[in-house]
Amino acid sequence: MDLKFVPSICSYCGTGCGVLFEVLDGELVGTLPMKTHPVNHGKLCIKGWNLHEHVNSPLRLKHPLVKTFGRFTKVDWDKAIGVATDRLKAVIAAHGPDSVGILVSAKMTNEENYLAQKFARAVIGTNNVDHCARL
Amino acid sequence: MTSIQQQVHTWLEEGRVDIFLAYRMVEGHPLPHAFTRERIDETDTLVTGPARYSLEKFATHIASRYPDAKIGMVARDCNQRALNVLQVWNQLKPGQVDTVPVNCCPSLLKPHADCSYLEPKPAGHVKLERGQDPNQSLAQADTLPRAERFDRWMYEFSKCIKCYGCRNICPVCFCKDCSLEHPDLIGTGHLPPDIPIFHLVRAVHMAGRCIDCGLCEDACPAEIPLRLLYRKVNAIVKDLFGYETGSGDTLPPFSILGDKPTMSPQPLLAVSQE
Repeated sequence: MDLKFVPSICSYCGTGCGVLFEVLDGELVGTLPMKTHPVNHGKLCIKGWNLHEHVNSPLRLKHPLVKTFGRFTKVDWDKAIGVATDRLKAVIAAHGPDSVGILVSAKMTNEENYLAQKFARAVIGTNNVDHCARL
Repeated sequence: MTSIQQQVHTWLEEGRVDIFLAYRMVEGHPLPHAFTRERIDETDTLVTGPARYSLEKFATHIASRYPDAKIGMVARDCNQRALNVLQVWNQLKPGQVDTVPVNCCPSLLKPHADCSYLEPKPAGHVKLERGQDPNQSLAQADTLPRAERFDRWMYEFSKCIKCYGCRNICPVCFCKDCSLEHPDLIGTGHLPPDIPIFHLVRAVHMAGRCIDCGLCEDACPAEIPLRLLYRKVNAIVKDLFGYETGSGDTLPPFSILGDKPTMSPQPLLAVSQE
């Protein structure tokens, strides 16, 4: 019988609400709003309330997958990045760099977001950069 | 060591409880914590407030997995009432939860609540003009004309973002199948929710069940005065059936399992006066 309460930050949007995970015997069984958190003051939206469901979801992606002939196959990261590079190169060669867009995230660090826009502008050559906080 | 820390230490040591639910400070936040015999030294860090989480709900989660677990918890008056309701509804075995009573609600001796919520928050001018002031008494709420009362409640309900927070945080909401998610009644996915039916379905289910802890109103991102609404339905239950929710060991009048109601109605007094 091992019950733990783990404080965390909601992973959905850029607001950053404080949540409290209820972990029973190592299994995430519930999410609660953190009462004293300065961002949300004990309130959450429906997505935040159900955080534990996507963690436990059987549909969750846990490995890189590559789609070949309409079917997803499990591959390692090197292979997945290699495939993405080849296809991006092919698309850029055929349709130009503005045919590519980069989506970053409000839940990444500032440095990762900077790196992503740099990759878009300097490597791919497009200004098509957007992020999830423009909901 | 405070006397409560000492008491919990002794309870765990002697095996009076297997697990004790209380709070401790984590990076400046009072968070619930489960104290156990294996990590008994942690009882030095036990605090009783000021934030309030539904510890009894955690107790039901433990009890559903470990039916014979002996659970201890610090209990404010509202926790105690919730435990009573959960026992009446067979979510906890009688005597399964041992409590250490702690202060909370304001009294003659102590004008302020020790609890994170019960300090009244003044309503803003839009709420006073168009909505329902959560700080008013039931008697005050009933003085307005019917049509205006309805308009004011509809304004409050129209703000709902259907987060289900009121149900999720409720210590006495434990049904596996919830009417608020039933496809034939309310259904999930549609926004905004149908008003006022969404809130009234929940209000009806709170009759004889709500222990007036205020956690729902505290968790509501739209600041709907839910506590006032559920106080009203409970007042009706009390007038009609003489049933005092959260005390005694009888099921409320609206338990429809079996072939006859558990209580007979009394003459309509307060309701018929309108």
